[in-house]
Amino acid sequence: MVSKLAAGWRIQRRVIGALMIRELITRFGRENIGFLWVMVEPLLFGLLVGLIWSYAKGPEEHGVSIIAFVVTGYLPLTLFRNSVNRAVKVFTVNSSLMYHRQITLTDFIFVRFLIEMIGGMMAYLVVGLLLIYLDLFPVPFDIGWLIVGWLVYCAFTLSLCFVLAPLSEMSDVLEKMMPVTTYVIIPFSGTFNMASWVTPDAREVLLYSPFVNAMEMMRYGVFGDNVTAYFGFGVPIAATMFFLAIGLILCRKVRRILVVE
Amino acid sequence: MIRCVNLGKSYPLGRGRKHVFRNLNFQITPGERIGFLGRNGAGKTTLIKLIGGVEMPTAGRVIRDMTVSWPLGFGGGFQGSLTGYDNARFISRIYGHDYREIKDFVEDFTELGAQLKMPVVTYSSGMRARLAFALSLAIEFDCYLIDEIILVGDQNFHRKCHYELFDKRADRALILASHSFEIIREFCDRAMVLHGGAGVMYSDVNEALDVYSAL
Repeated sequence: MVSKLAAGWRIQRRVIGALMIRELITRFGRENIGFLWVMVEPLLFGLLVGLIWSYAKGPEEHGVSIIAFVVTGYLPLTLFRNSVNRAVKVFTVNSSLMYHRQITLTDFIFVRFLIEMIGGMMAYLVVGLLLIYLDLFPVPFDIGWLIVGWLVYCAFTLSLCFVLAPLSEMSDVLEKMMPVTTYVIIPFSGTFNMASWVTPDAREVLLYSPFVNAMEMMRYGVFGDNVTAYFGFGVPIAATMFFLAIGLILCRKVRRILVVE
Repeated sequence: MIRCVNLGKSYPLGRGRKHVFRNLNFQITPGERIGFLGRNGAGKTTLIKLIGGVEMPTAGRVIRDMTVSWPLGFGGGFQGSLTGYDNARFISRIYGHDYREIKDFVEDFTELGAQLKMPVVTYSSGMRARLAFALSLAIEFDCYLIDEIILVGDQNFHRKCHYELFDKRADRALILASHSFEIIREFCDRAMVLHGGAGVMYSDVNEALDVYSAL
């Protein structure tokens, strides 16, 4: 039993590794900076949007640097957007790999998400260090909360990918609805606002969003007592578990009907 | 051994379903060579995909007690935008083999030379066939699944396949979907004729060929 599990784990690691390399080569090639491109997009997004906002609204808002505030919001949001967009139709584009039985549908979702997550973290690190050097970003008050918040945000995003990937194979409507949906949820993502800025009633609603909870953790980790952060673990963990379970069931269902050329 | 139990596959068709075949029951023991015969669309390729685990059956199941290759046909198993070497590297990684050994074998078997550094989309069907065969032979399976369309290579390729698959690996099982009387007669011990959603296994290959040509 144990040896069987160990063998399964070895195969799993092998497959994930091979798929990661394959995905990086097909997406970024071997030319110039190669896979470092994965962090360029979130990096530019966070940096440039932050700059635009600081010109539009002044250097500070609610007592914190506006560039830092936008960067802390935009980098996770970019991770979320890219991850869910990459999850759409992931089975169709990779279907030729179903020829190898050790590769499963969940591997595709996981690998694409992992690449976005690593890219996002590298971008965060580079942007953070650069802005700290330029004195536009505070040295994180508590790096632990920043990491915990990031992981909670990632876990919830991954669970959404697990649901969206199989759904996008079952219905084409989903693909068409994605851009508007990812836009509409921005107010409920904690990207540009903190829970403490709104009325207690509205706050209660906002805190039902796993994104808001995770974002508040990260903001607390960065700004510390300069902001008032509200968060809990119950909502994000419950939501992540819920979507993960649904997603795994859907993946099984889709695998049975998947047609491979 | 591979056992197919009450195997059935259907695809959605309008409001109903199109049944490719239903209730297939047969088994393949180690070293056995089975031919699948049937007209176009009878379900030969679909059956091979189910045995290889590429698609899932709508009913019944496939029980595999030996290692089974991926179906060697044109499309599957490769990433067209990657080079031959990249594909070899990928395959050796997921099957847990040493890349250098695989690389040597692939270079030797395919004789593709510098072409291996080109994306697989640029390959002719014969070249793809060489690469697919080389990789699956290098991994070593107990049972090989072969779609006849891949046997498009030239004389030299045929000779190599023959040597590697029938002389060196005479103990391996083989499933071959084909229209060619010659190939079935030469390579198979038994043959199954797929027609009208049913499959009938004949232990005499010539009998199967007679039934098939009368269809």
